[in-house]
Amino acid sequence: MGYVARLNAVSHRYKAVFALDDVTLDIPAGKVVGLIGPDGVGKSTLLGLIAGVRKAQAGEVTVLGHNMCDASARSTLGARIAYMPQGLGKNLYPTLSVRENLDFFGRLFGQKQAERRERIAMLTEATGLGPFLDRPAGKLSGGMKQKLGLCAALIHDPDLLILDEPTTGVDPLSRRQFWELIDRIRAKLTGMSVLVATAYMEEAERFEWLAAMNDGKVIATGTPEEIRAQTGKATLEEAFIEMLPKEEGEEVGVTLRPLPKKDGAMPAIEAFELVKRFGDFTAVDHVSFTIPEGEIFGFLGSNGCGKSTTMKMLTGLLQPTEGRSKLFGAELENGDMAARQDIGYMSQAFSLYAELTVRQNLELHAKLYHIPPERRAERVREVLDEFELTEVAASMPDGLPLGIRQRLQLAVATIHEPRILILDEPTSGVDPLARDAFWRKLISLSRDEGVTIFISTHFMNEAERCDRISLMHAGRVLDVGTPEELTERRGAQTLEEAFIAALEGETQADEGAADTDALKNDVEAVAPNAVQRAMSRLWAYTSRETLELIRDPIRMFFALAGPIILLITMGFGISFDVDKLSFAVNDMDHTPESRRLIEAFSSIPQFDQKDDFTSLDALDQRMERGNLTVALEIPDGFGKALHQGSAPEISLWIDGSMPFRGETAEGYALGLLRQFADDLATETGTESSDSLSITTRYLYNQAFKSAHAMVPSMLMLILMLIPAIMSAISVVREKETGTIANFRATPVRKVEFLVGKQIPYIIIAWFNFWVLAGLGLWVFGVPLHGSLPALGLAALFYVIATTGFGQFMSSFTRTQVSAVFATAVLSIIPTVNFSGLITPVSTLAPMGRIVGLSFPGAWFQPISIGTFLKGFGFGDVAINILVIAGFCLIYLTLSVLALRKQEA
Amino acid sequence: MLKSLANILLLTVKELRAIRGDLVMVALILYVFSAAVWLVSDAGSTEVKDLSVAVVDEDHSPLSARIIDEIRAPLFATPVLLSPAEAAEAQTNGDYVLVVSLPPDLERDLRRGDEAEIQILADATAVAFAGNGSSFMTQLLAETVSDYLTPGVASDDLVNVVLRSRFNPNMTARWFTSVMQLMNNVTMLMLILSGASLIRERERGTIEHVLVMPVRPHEIVLSKIFATGGVILFASVFSLVVVVQWAMGVPIAGSLALYVLGAAIYVVSVASLGLMLASFTHNMGQFGLLTIPVIVIMILLSGGITPLESMPDWLQLVMRTISPSPHFVSFAQSVLYRGAGLDLVIGQLAAMMAMSIVALSMVLARFRKILS
Repeated sequence: MGYVARLNAVSHRYKAVFALDDVTLDIPAGKVVGLIGPDGVGKSTLLGLIAGVRKAQAGEVTVLGHNMCDASARSTLGARIAYMPQGLGKNLYPTLSVRENLDFFGRLFGQKQAERRERIAMLTEATGLGPFLDRPAGKLSGGMKQKLGLCAALIHDPDLLILDEPTTGVDPLSRRQFWELIDRIRAKLTGMSVLVATAYMEEAERFEWLAAMNDGKVIATGTPEEIRAQTGKATLEEAFIEMLPKEEGEEVGVTLRPLPKKDGAMPAIEAFELVKRFGDFTAVDHVSFTIPEGEIFGFLGSNGCGKSTTMKMLTGLLQPTEGRSKLFGAELENGDMAARQDIGYMSQAFSLYAELTVRQNLELHAKLYHIPPERRAERVREVLDEFELTEVAASMPDGLPLGIRQRLQLAVATIHEPRILILDEPTSGVDPLARDAFWRKLISLSRDEGVTIFISTHFMNEAERCDRISLMHAGRVLDVGTPEELTERRGAQTLEEAFIAALEGETQADEGAADTDALKNDVEAVAPNAVQRAMSRLWAYTSRETLELIRDPIRMFFALAGPIILLITMGFGISFDVDKLSFAVNDMDHTPESRRLIEAFSSIPQFDQKDDFTSLDALDQRMERGNLTVALEIPDGFGKALHQGSAPEISLWIDGSMPFRGETAEGYALGLLRQFADDLATETGTESSDSLSITTRYLYNQAFKSAHAMVPSMLMLILMLIPAIMSAISVVREKETGTIANFRATPVRKVEFLVGKQIPYIIIAWFNFWVLAGLGLWVFGVPLHGSLPALGLAALFYVIATTGFGQFMSSFTRTQVSAVFATAVLSIIPTVNFSGLITPVSTLAPMGRIVGLSFPGAWFQPISIGTFLKGFGFGDVAINILVIAGFCLIYLTLSVLALRKQEA
Repeated sequence: MLKSLANILLLTVKELRAIRGDLVMVALILYVFSAAVWLVSDAGSTEVKDLSVAVVDEDHSPLSARIIDEIRAPLFATPVLLSPAEAAEAQTNGDYVLVVSLPPDLERDLRRGDEAEIQILADATAVAFAGNGSSFMTQLLAETVSDYLTPGVASDDLVNVVLRSRFNPNMTARWFTSVMQLMNNVTMLMLILSGASLIRERERGTIEHVLVMPVRPHEIVLSKIFATGGVILFASVFSLVVVVQWAMGVPIAGSLALYVLGAAIYVVSVASLGLMLASFTHNMGQFGLLTIPVIVIMILLSGGITPLESMPDWLQLVMRTISPSPHFVSFAQSVLYRGAGLDLVIGQLAAMMAMSIVALSMVLARFRKILS
């Protein structure tokens, strides 16, 4: 077979931007094929289409002889392709150990335990990860993460291995080891095709076949030799730049002019034994250096080696744990505003305000740096000119290409003409041409304006352009000097070799030796049947989700303590028991009758008698202040009139600002007065003509205690809210961290994915139910008259439904925040207002009732109330349980429909 | 000092632009302060209204017919006639909150002057309605019966009660719920907006960017509070005047200016709380998990749903110490309904201010730590 993948007239765009523009490409099989080109030219899109994780928009993609537009072809190919997405360890689970990560991937392909154990042993031995099987993936070094990613990709013996920028951000030693490993694996596993994307041109030299891409198009294909020959250049990078379409008169190349020597001048930056620890992790370990004014000083090292932390300490953003630093001889102190006028800082991630236009960004910074108003407009104009931003001045930064955004950032960092520029990986992800232009700018700042530049990078050729560089690894400076000195000192040919030599001195002990001989082409295993494979995939997600959840203290706390805190506070707090109503009288009569009336009020616990009031003004004041709910005024002559039977008039004031309390107070007061009149009538012998007695019996809650009715209803509310939010986060989290790629690239089905992830949340939520029910019984003293098993069963279905609701919300939201808030807002309003928590469903207006009944809460609330207070058994709750089970199915179906197995 | 104020102003304008850029949030704010206030204040009321009632009539007399006729809107829904067995079952299913049971020979007994008993069976699982509903029903039944038996005779009560309900003469629930709903929305949106504005900057790295400039942390924090608080304050006052007062016809007794002052202080205190919560979390996901229970507790235990006095003393104390919401509820009730002046509410304003000072000091103390 000749080709592993063929693309025919494939175009792909995101909104208006073309990522791929009519690409036709045949990729030969059985080779290591490189896709080269700077960031943002469409490499990842192309790989995504081939791996089947992106949905083809136009054109035809054929992989291993199958059409990728066909869903059934994709699902069979899933088991033959391995895809490692961009971003170091992005598809790995940082809290899971190496073994657990690999177990998860093995299960996704239906491998049984014995087979998995054998494969994991074989792969970790082959990659040298063997000694670290129990270390969490998040605690591995960059190089080891990359190897783990490779093991995960190789676990199912793929025919096509797709690696999207596997070495970006990794130190040169690990990078070299990685490629050697790939070569050895290929030698063992013959027949496997490897497709790699990379932005490092020097890496591309080792590939067997290349496709160079720019701006959504393939601009050249062939072996490295062929491509170099086409342009007549010595290196691929030069060849690539040569092939790019060029604007007229554009400069090419960078030349570093020598730095004028200044003797005895004050150094711009001095660092003495800087140390920064985060907990027990030492990010920066006794780093010292001195940078003279006007120098370009480079920091070279891999991701996470402490470059950024050191730079942040020098800007004053972070407080060093030990050590100190000086800027122009002055000690750097926290909150030193004058020092900040001297520093321009460009952080690693793009960090300008996306909500402001380019010009507004510049103006804001000009103002914050207190550039005088008369100079401000001019300075903004200057900078726009200088950095060629005039054309885009009115655009939003997010819509601009990376190269321009990074120019904008430099413009912002220099707007106040600082004497020091601290630039943290300013060029990562920028294409070579733009990078050259950026460097010309830096050199001119340094040489023409005497600005001291402190820059970090992981590109070797950029490091070579610095006056001096410092090699960093694992928080320590390995070596400092000019690039030539460093190369010489290690006896190396190139700076890269020098760095590798320096690293080798450091890391021998750290990583295990790789032994590729362990690799075998076929591992003996009994092929599981389709059902076993499906169950294995489902279980892969369940066990992984459970482990992740257990290791995330914040989510665990929310899941376990959240319901308890809510029930305790709301159970005690939300009460319709109206008592201790503040009550005051103005007795102007002072007769035994008036005292008796007052006695009637003050003797019951519902009223809490306060000081008497003597005037209406005083009454007004106290009521306005909210200190008085009920007031009674007994006029002079009350007792006398009562004896004469001439119906004296008394006045009763009630604070109606809180209607429920007012109404209840009114009911109590009128009841007391009726009682008072009846008693009086009996005593005086004027028998009331009324022979009617009206009695009220409170059913199901004879004590008429608010908590007895509210706690069962709150079970309904809490078991809706917390489980739904927990499960809503679960799917969106994967989208945000990028691990969703594993779902997209492997044969796992949507139902398996969803149900698998739902199971741990169901278990936790059901456990919550028992805890809450226990609290209700023992803390709140709610009696249980009905069948506990029936309630338990209903609760099980209810939490399946509510976790299902959360998953449904998360299957179409994009971020954790929107998932959390959408779930909360959409579930709280119907459950609080329309599910019988406060207003019984029977008294709701038809609209409210329909809204309420279309959520599971309104069906569970009668079960909860019924089993606690009304003595319900299985028979009474069967229909409601069936309806709730229906909700479970509906939510699952909706989630399956809303979840996308492929990206757009 | 002047520079500091200028910085705050600049950053506030920047924050306002950020809010304007977030269309989803703007739509949510608009919805919450217009339609949602209306909808929820009608739905979430504890006012006895259209209460579901069934009648078991075993008398079949003109009196019983009269009674059934008198049970009507607005307090009660049109009653349904059921047999005793049906009534028992229906009430078990929660179909009716009240069942009125009229015994056989009710009218005959009463006319003879014999003892007769009407029973009201109240479903006490609906605690908010069973009590008041049955006391209203008792009153209605007593009046109807005495009116029927001795028509035209004024009630021969021994005592004549003049009842005045202050501040809300008809005890209309929406007068209360609409304003409380407004407060709930302020609480919810302020917590989310202010916290999210800090976390968003942290996730995007813009906060580092600002901090290397000659800008002090308190300027950043204050600008966030002023921007988000200003928007929410404006929206809530607008909603109070246009939606609550004008469209829903709820009268406002007190001084609007005083209310705006109190609302401003409340907004600042909730915003400070939101920022404090944000300073304890690392990303939006965690912030969401932490905020939701806080929102629920702040709203439900503010005294805006059920009276604060009904809570156990310890809980009242806890809520008054940690949450500004009970203070604002009692402030809003005093000013809006009771027309109280500044002298009467100064204590609540001071409490809310003290809380924001504490929360803000914590945010500022943690500000550098946030970065690492």
